Amino acid sequence: MEIVISNLVKNYGQHRVLEIEELKIARGSFCGIMGPNGAGKSTLVKILGGLDGVTSGKIYYDGKESSGDVYQNMTVVFQKPYLLRDTVFYNIAYPLMLRKVAKKEIETRVRQLAEEMAMEDLLYRKAWTLSGGEAQKVALARALVFKPALLLLDEPTANIDPASMVVMESMIKQANAKEGTTILLVTHHIHQAKRLCGDIVFMDKGKVEEFGEMREVIFSPRNIKTKWFMEGEIII
Amino acid sequence: MREILEGCKQAIILLLSFDQEVYSIIFLSLYVSLMATFFATLLAIPVGILLGIKDFQWKNIVIRFVYTLMSLPPVIAGLVVFLLISRKGPFGFLGLVYTPTAMIIAQTCLVIPIITGIVYNGTKEKGKTVQILAKTLGADSRHTLLLLMKELRIDILTGIVTGYGRAVSEVGAVMIVGGNIKGHTRVMTTTITMLQSMGNYEMAIALGMVLLGISFTVNTILYYYQRGE
Repeated sequence: MEIVISNLVKNYGQHRVLEIEELKIARGSFCGIMGPNGAGKSTLVKILGGLDGVTSGKIYYDGKESSGDVYQNMTVVFQKPYLLRDTVFYNIAYPLMLRKVAKKEIETRVRQLAEEMAMEDLLYRKAWTLSGGEAQKVALARALVFKPALLLLDEPTANIDPASMVVMESMIKQANAKEGTTILLVTHHIHQAKRLCGDIVFMDKGKVEEFGEMREVIFSPRNIKTKWFMEGEIII
Repeated sequence: MREILEGCKQAIILLLSFDQEVYSIIFLSLYVSLMATFFATLLAIPVGILLGIKDFQWKNIVIRFVYTLMSLPPVIAGLVVFLLISRKGPFGFLGLVYTPTAMIIAQTCLVIPIITGIVYNGTKEKGKTVQILAKTLGADSRHTLLLLMKELRIDILTGIVTGYGRAVSEVGAVMIVGGNIKGHTRVMTTTITMLQSMGNYEMAIALGMVLLGISFTVNTILYYYQRGE
């Protein structure tokens, strides 16, 4: 899914949190969104996911303005996922049930995904008995199971163990490469951005300071703020 | 103490003898309270959920009003319903006063705020999160409401059980609008009150035991359900 943002402004009361003149995310791209706290990254993700409104401006998804159909074809995974009070199987199957996929097909797809994410043994566990990392994997599986055209990820691997992170990154990469899913990943981790992203949007104080190919933005940024941020991250 | 023990013994004999009067009182109590809880549930669940997820002007006042009505004295509910349905009242032409229907209406008024308040509290905690999740997964408004009800099932069940407990144990409202008419509007609580004043403790204790038994059973079911969740 291609995303075009035009003159987007978001205010909370008198406070302007987002101001993006023009931004185009190509269909099938893997784009990292980086920037310091308060840069507006999560607000942007919420707006793109239809979870928050805009003060002014337009967003086009494959040339169309936001509508119910568009939101059917995208999803968001947050840092702290909410799992339904049911089994892991039900959680992963739920988006397919909403789309009236046949029971047998649901069973096959859920099992296949669980196997690929090495969590077959979790399928019949109640969601509230899972650890943070397991819950995050389930949330990702639930997002991937219906093969969305746009996947918005807001620090999905924050606070999880390295083994789970490897599995999750692999699944996200696979969705982008095999299914052509457009992915926007909010991350603070420069190494993760290097491993996964093709492009980087660097934001600060609600504005896009730099947007370009990952290597350029991370290793030879044109913007001084980007440079400071990347250097700070590297030192950390 | 001897009187209580004797009362308990007589109560058990009375219950085991399947006394028709005792059982008709028990069944009417259950019927009135269950119907009241049912009608209250139909209204209170959507209202509680909407209060939890929607923001609107005067919301705080509405919520305070609901909380106030949660502790509405049954006699006041009974009095208001009585004034509305009595012969000179606006709904007097319906001829509802001193009928089980009037008792159901009065108890419904008592139970609605209790279920609404409890469901509202649950929705306030996680309603918006569930709503966001539903949207991110592509649910329409109908599926979102169904998902909310599923996720809030413990709060909803707690509300229903609490509301039922309130209905089955109150005496003031049903006494005013029902009149405690033998064989017609006499329920467990009004009978216990009447028998106590008459000094007939056996039947009063028998009905009291049934009331306690119902309360224990309902709460046990809720306890096990919550533990399972």
